[in-house]
Amino acid sequence: MLRYLRRHPLLGLLNILSVALGVAVYLATQIANHSANRAFAASVDLVAGKAELEITAPAGHLPETILPKVATAPGVSAATPLVQGFVSLRDFPGDYLEILGIDVFTNGLFRTFDPSNFDARGFDIQRWLGNPGSIAVSEEFVRQHGLKAGDKIRARVGGTNRELEIGFLLQKDETFDPHFTAMDIGWAQELFGRRGELSVIQLKLLNPREREITITALRQFLPKDVRVASPARRTEEVDKMLGGFQLNLTMMSLVSVLVGMFLIYNTVTASVVRRQHEIGILRSLGVTRSEIRNLFLGEAIVLGAIGSFLGLIGGLVLARVLVGAVSATISSLYVLVSVRGITLQPLSFALAWMIGIGSVILSAWFPAHAAARQDPVAALHGGARLERSVNPSFAWLISGALCIFLAAVFSWLALSIGPRWLSFGAAFFVLAGFSFLVPRVMFHFSKATGNLLRRLRPRRRRSNIENALAAANLSRALLRNSVTVAALAIAVAMTVGVSVMVFSFRKTVEAWINNTLIADLFVTPASNAVAGVSSFFPAPALAFLSNHPAVETIDTFRQVELPMGDTDISAAVIRGGEQRRLQFLRGDRRELMRRFHDEPCLFASESFASRHHLREGDLVELTTPDGPQAFAVAALFYDYTSDQGYVYLSAKNFARFWHDDRINSVAIYLKANHGADEVTKAFRSEFSREGQFAIFSNQSLRRRVFEIFDQTFAVTHVLMAIALFVAITGIFLSLTILITERQRELAILRAIGASAGQIRKILLSETAMLGALAAVVGTVSGICLSVVLTGVINRAFFGWTIHLAFPWQTLALTPIWILAAAIIAGVIPAWRASRMVLADNLRNE
Amino acid sequence: MNKERNIGFQPVRPAGFQPAASFSRMKVFSGENLCWAHRLKAYVLARVLLFAAIATTFIAADWKIAEPGWRYEFPRDHHAHREFKTEWWYFTGNLFDADGHRFGYELTFFRHGIQRAADRDPNASRFIVDDLKFAHFAITDVGGQQFRFEQKTSRGAFGEAGFDDRQRLAWIDNWSLTSKSDGIFELTASGAAGAIHLDLRPAKPAVVHGENGVSVKGTGGASASHYYSIPRLETTGSLTVNGKTCALRGESWFDHEWSSSQLAKGQVGWDWFCLQWEDGAELMLYRMRLENGQRDSSSSGTWIAPDGTATHLRATDFQATPIASWKSKATAAEYPIGWRIVLPAQGLDFTIKAALEDQELKLGPITYWEGAIDANGRRDGKEIKARGYLELTGYAGQFGATLRAGR
Repeated sequence: MLRYLRRHPLLGLLNILSVALGVAVYLATQIANHSANRAFAASVDLVAGKAELEITAPAGHLPETILPKVATAPGVSAATPLVQGFVSLRDFPGDYLEILGIDVFTNGLFRTFDPSNFDARGFDIQRWLGNPGSIAVSEEFVRQHGLKAGDKIRARVGGTNRELEIGFLLQKDETFDPHFTAMDIGWAQELFGRRGELSVIQLKLLNPREREITITALRQFLPKDVRVASPARRTEEVDKMLGGFQLNLTMMSLVSVLVGMFLIYNTVTASVVRRQHEIGILRSLGVTRSEIRNLFLGEAIVLGAIGSFLGLIGGLVLARVLVGAVSATISSLYVLVSVRGITLQPLSFALAWMIGIGSVILSAWFPAHAAARQDPVAALHGGARLERSVNPSFAWLISGALCIFLAAVFSWLALSIGPRWLSFGAAFFVLAGFSFLVPRVMFHFSKATGNLLRRLRPRRRRSNIENALAAANLSRALLRNSVTVAALAIAVAMTVGVSVMVFSFRKTVEAWINNTLIADLFVTPASNAVAGVSSFFPAPALAFLSNHPAVETIDTFRQVELPMGDTDISAAVIRGGEQRRLQFLRGDRRELMRRFHDEPCLFASESFASRHHLREGDLVELTTPDGPQAFAVAALFYDYTSDQGYVYLSAKNFARFWHDDRINSVAIYLKANHGADEVTKAFRSEFSREGQFAIFSNQSLRRRVFEIFDQTFAVTHVLMAIALFVAITGIFLSLTILITERQRELAILRAIGASAGQIRKILLSETAMLGALAAVVGTVSGICLSVVLTGVINRAFFGWTIHLAFPWQTLALTPIWILAAAIIAGVIPAWRASRMVLADNLRNE
Repeated sequence: MNKERNIGFQPVRPAGFQPAASFSRMKVFSGENLCWAHRLKAYVLARVLLFAAIATTFIAADWKIAEPGWRYEFPRDHHAHREFKTEWWYFTGNLFDADGHRFGYELTFFRHGIQRAADRDPNASRFIVDDLKFAHFAITDVGGQQFRFEQKTSRGAFGEAGFDDRQRLAWIDNWSLTSKSDGIFELTASGAAGAIHLDLRPAKPAVVHGENGVSVKGTGGASASHYYSIPRLETTGSLTVNGKTCALRGESWFDHEWSSSQLAKGQVGWDWFCLQWEDGAELMLYRMRLENGQRDSSSSGTWIAPDGTATHLRATDFQATPIASWKSKATAAEYPIGWRIVLPAQGLDFTIKAALEDQELKLGPITYWEGAIDANGRRDGKEIKARGYLELTGYAGQFGATLRAGR
């Protein structure tokens, strides 16, 4: 066996490579996902410290006056308050700090870090408590920005510029996110304009087993909408929220594995074919069938093991590339997370290894089994072929049809009953179905091309015998050629499918933005544009804008998380002054807006409705500080900003039920004949001389939306590129096999007078045909796949309506460059085949 | 008790007492008898308070400076003086139960200004503190050979700690010092160290230390404090140790000092004595030690005759010589807990012995010894006895080192 490998190192190498790539992509995706989750969990842990329970309130509106009562509640052994917030940094554009306002008097039992003086000797409590802007930062932050003790940095928060002083270092046993800083809770309240308010009250319990009793006792006097839960809960929720997104990535990464499986099938089949003689001898010598099977399986497993091992290393390397893209996507779509490095998990390594080996065993099983079943006499005779049937069996056709039918069934199930992951089954069956159809397509193609060429021949002076031979060859090694084509077709299908999906998505979003993003200016405190919406819009600035003569109307925006049952949902509180902004699925706009303001009702985004199985008229119960309150779903609206979905509440209702009228940002609609510049200039000189506010024109916001959009699909593109690379490698591999296997046949051709050039021509034309077939089948199945991606997977996981649109240019170009790639991949094998030594290959004749 | 000759009221001479006292009051506890949680808290506080102490070195202006001519007025001056940076109310005492079992106690409230109350934005966050509030509580069970101590600190954002409301002079949670209309002080504290509930009736009027109402430190003159004591208070009440409560009677000493001043250079620690003689006289001595091991010339004291007249004692007016020491197993610090003290002008020659050897407050960065003592000796040839309290700081290595580093 090893001898065989030594004689054909390229085969072995390619085999290893295809396994390695599949494993690497899978592992890298797992690592990137896991690292993002761990980074988030670490940031939660850093804040939560050793707390056993946390009291939080929606919109961070936890009145501080409840603290003494909480601290002395039965079952509570210690309590400490926290005020959290974000600032963006003027001196380091794009950078931000998460500031944790802590109470050093009570949080000694809770925190897992310690603020200390810069020389690490002790802690100047006087400066900590007395200096308004003194913060404790990580050593890494200090190093990154070349800061030293006492340096001042300029921060933006809530539409104002504030100065912070690098006063202390945060000491912690392990490294942590350098965005994390701490300061005294009192000054943190001042900094964030949150007098009287806390973000969290952390608790330790006398007896952790009586936590439920404690929670009940606390609920007696706490405001109705606060949440008492363990800090781990937040991590769990985010893990859950990211679950769909990450599952999608995982599934995409498995495509590479799938493509690799086809290739392995090919190589093992090739080696079985090549060694028929050897098999015959071995069988004659008394080697049993199962031993023959194990021989081939063993060989595949050795290669698979080496490939998987290399894949693990490759995965580690690739993970570093992917992790940035994954965390950027998560940060822009879900939750601010700063992934500083990759976190490894033994389990993902084990799983990746197993997937590598498993896929090898699975794909090597059939050819190995076929080898074992060979009749020794026939094998020795050399006439036996694995692909005995020149006609494709009907079983393939039926299997193909069945798969496509199953894809439809799974799609229906995923959308109507669930679970959602069945939609991946639908995608799988689309790919499998088309793969099964390949033999028949190829058979007919081969026959049709043959006929065509025959018919053409008489009219032409130059013989076209090479092409005819090539076409005939396709159906002679039908099965194996089909596998090659299928592998490439799958990669093409994925590329096409994803391209169509992304294109459709982009077109849909574009149309949606054109209809909804119609305000002339958008203004928000600068820190919100960097670190997520956390700062409030100051009232004077709002009044200034409202009263500006050029302003027609203003819409305000407030982002809050509100409790609905056991979960938190995202809500946007808007004035809704400008009615064109919302695009409803159904209903009369004027009437809906009236209800929106006057009745306790809300608008739900399409994805929100699908996630929570809501329809117009359904009631949603939200917990307000005064208790639960039912809101009717007045209408559903199109939205593509969040896969979790959100609801719109009117500012009027929010003020009424939550007693809160603070806002995060404003959208400004100008009167006709007034330019955005006029208002921008006036506002800037009054409130934003030093850039305290981020001011977006309609155009710049659009640009930003699409930046985020493209960033979101960055990961997708990386994964697709890899799948395609695997596939192209596959063509090269397959052709090499094809040629080595057919050396004898080619030698005969040479012997009977074919020139080296003709041999090359035969082979290249064969390659081109394979490439063309793969391109056609791939494009067609890719389009079907895109339907599944947009209509089924997207619907099941994200609930967006995406109008299918085709990037015709890309679609038209795909077959061309696949064909080109195939031909290029065939050049070397064809050249080698044309230069082979006749005698060696004819020895057997 | 012996009747003694009164020396008459005299202003006490300038002394370097203030910084010493300031340091002595900035201390932290981490006794092994406390549960882990308290120890952890104590660790945090140790660092907190150490730097409060060191920060004293760098006090900026804005705070009122103790200047000569302060007119003491009581009960007004029992209350807080928020225009000064640092202030404390300091009670120690020796008490006996009905069976004659002896107990020592210490309960002290500290205020350390962060910002002047006048500078406070009235609408600012309630978590912004004007001052650090902390308190020490220790009980010495002489018969039971047990010493327990505890510290409390609080932000006081919700009024759980503070100074000077209508009744209370100082409080943190359930530890409080109350001044009653009839001149009686009420002390309450309970915690891991035990519990006390005491009424203290002044047996003597307040004695002001220093000259012209200030205790001036050093030659610069800018550093000074206002400092008075009520050297003897008849004390009754109850004490709980080991879950047992008993009625007690005895005598206490009350110090009240406030200032905004700086520390002297080169000082590493101090030895502070207060003694209540059987004849009705009292003695306060204070001995500041320098880096080079010498006694600082600002060391001083006050002799208070039975009739309340006070005599200021200069460093040259007394000799204090250590005669016995105790080495702490926990910190390896060696404390001079036995002394021979001679005051030639008063005809006093006596020795001091600790009521219990281990009255060490074992801490992370700052460890010190403070406990009940007995004095025996002769005055003008006549045998005389006293009980009191001794405070020894700067003996556990880190204290001095940290202190010096802070400068």
